[in-house]
Amino acid sequence: MENKIFQTIWLALFLVLTGIPGLAWGGSEPLIIYSGAGLMKPMNELKNGFETRYNIPVQLIYGGSGELFGMIATRKAGDVFIPGAEKYVKDAIKQGLVRAEGQRSVCYHVPIILVPADNPGHIQSLQDLARPGVRVALADAKAAAIGKVANAILKKNDLLEQVAKNVVVRPSTTNQLLIYTATGQVDACIAWEDQATWGQAKGKVDIVRIPSVQNAVKTIPSAVVTFSEQIDKAQLFVDYIASAEGKALWKKWGFPIDKPE
Amino acid sequence: MGNRIFRAGLAGITVLFVGMLVWAMLSLIFMPRWSEVVDSTLSEEMLYSIRLSLTTSAVSVVVVMILAVSIGYVLARFRFPGHQLLRTVVDLPMAFPELVLGLCLLLLFGHDPLAGWLKKAGIDIVFSKTGIAIAQIFTAAPYATRVVYAAFRSINPRYEMVARSLGCGQWAAFLRVTLPMAKGGLFAGAVIAFARCMGCFGTVLILAGGTRMFTETLPITLYLNISYGNLAMAMTSGILLILISLAAIVTFEALNHEVVL
Repeated sequence: MENKIFQTIWLALFLVLTGIPGLAWGGSEPLIIYSGAGLMKPMNELKNGFETRYNIPVQLIYGGSGELFGMIATRKAGDVFIPGAEKYVKDAIKQGLVRAEGQRSVCYHVPIILVPADNPGHIQSLQDLARPGVRVALADAKAAAIGKVANAILKKNDLLEQVAKNVVVRPSTTNQLLIYTATGQVDACIAWEDQATWGQAKGKVDIVRIPSVQNAVKTIPSAVVTFSEQIDKAQLFVDYIASAEGKALWKKWGFPIDKPE
Repeated sequence: MGNRIFRAGLAGITVLFVGMLVWAMLSLIFMPRWSEVVDSTLSEEMLYSIRLSLTTSAVSVVVVMILAVSIGYVLARFRFPGHQLLRTVVDLPMAFPELVLGLCLLLLFGHDPLAGWLKKAGIDIVFSKTGIAIAQIFTAAPYATRVVYAAFRSINPRYEMVARSLGCGQWAAFLRVTLPMAKGGLFAGAVIAFARCMGCFGTVLILAGGTRMFTETLPITLYLNISYGNLAMAMTSGILLILISLAAIVTFEALNHEVVL
């Protein structure tokens, strides 16, 4: 009798373990969109807009741009890649992870200096970040697009080494930067302009603009993942977020459509 | 027949779940090549992370045990109004996510009055290695307190009374009677505290910032390297964490038969 019980268990186990992948779950597979964590606000609305218009379900996966890149490389699945800066799509095309044809740049992404409300560190310019005693947060350059961009801006202005002395924390996502600035743990960070328009940041942070000669404005790209099994629908999504309707949503959340001065 | 189905059902659920758990752990351990694991373990970043994890956890466990013995004893021996409330407050951090605890601690240690006092005393907690230990202490203390409290509860207070009737003071009775009798429970509490400290992620990430090669403990190494798309490093830190937990659980189980939880 003991034997029989175990036979039943093993049989059940065998059926469950081998049967699952073959089962059809029914319904249409959602489009998997890998989106930079900093694009969360407009992406949530774009998802809703797309779903109502085309009746195609969408699933968003947020993360640092580098993290998403790694995810696509290891999972070899998913449909659309929308990182925080163009460089990631270029690298992905080089590695054969996303398709070069059909890629679009949807809007601009403008780096700014973000300071806590009332600017306790009296930060007026990039040069002020190098002043002794100022507490600066910069994103991790390998993990987040803004980290890489911030380093490039500082390098361009010969401030990289001086500011590095003031950096007290290097978080791996742009949202963590916002938390530390909004709670006054740092005097300044280099972040994206749109973050200051988010609901939870309102009134808690102020923007210090970087003059365009010193700045490095980026575009937000989107491209279809090579491993996508529904390339047409994925392209439809890429086109939708770059359409007039899509662009209005980007604008609403502080992403400029026209190249800023 | 009914009995057989009952037993087969329960055994089936157990085998299925435990099987998947073991499978999941083994697939992490056997996924990377051994040479990758060895190289990653010996990399500068990993050695730094291991060393930092071990030193901060060792310091944290000492502090946690002082807290756990004090609070556990208060709960087990003293009767006072609000006893139940105190137990609930002490247990509370176990129920909410580590990230929430991290945010609470950031607001406590990063704002006046505490931030001002600490600054005057020259103690840096936010974004520092001290911050790692503080985060670990607050995360692990409830677990250790529970175990130590249970150990004290299982010792009949009469032993202390007898000791005191023979001339011991309250302090001496505690030190020479209760503490040695609770030895097993204290060790078990310390082991659990150590495992929690080594594995503590969210609290450390928020309070200490998770900066590479500065406030980088093993779980942060795992997280950062997922963000970098660096799988070998990520999996190696995962394997190290599994091995540490395994050692802790085995030790805990070996000591635990002396303790009634």
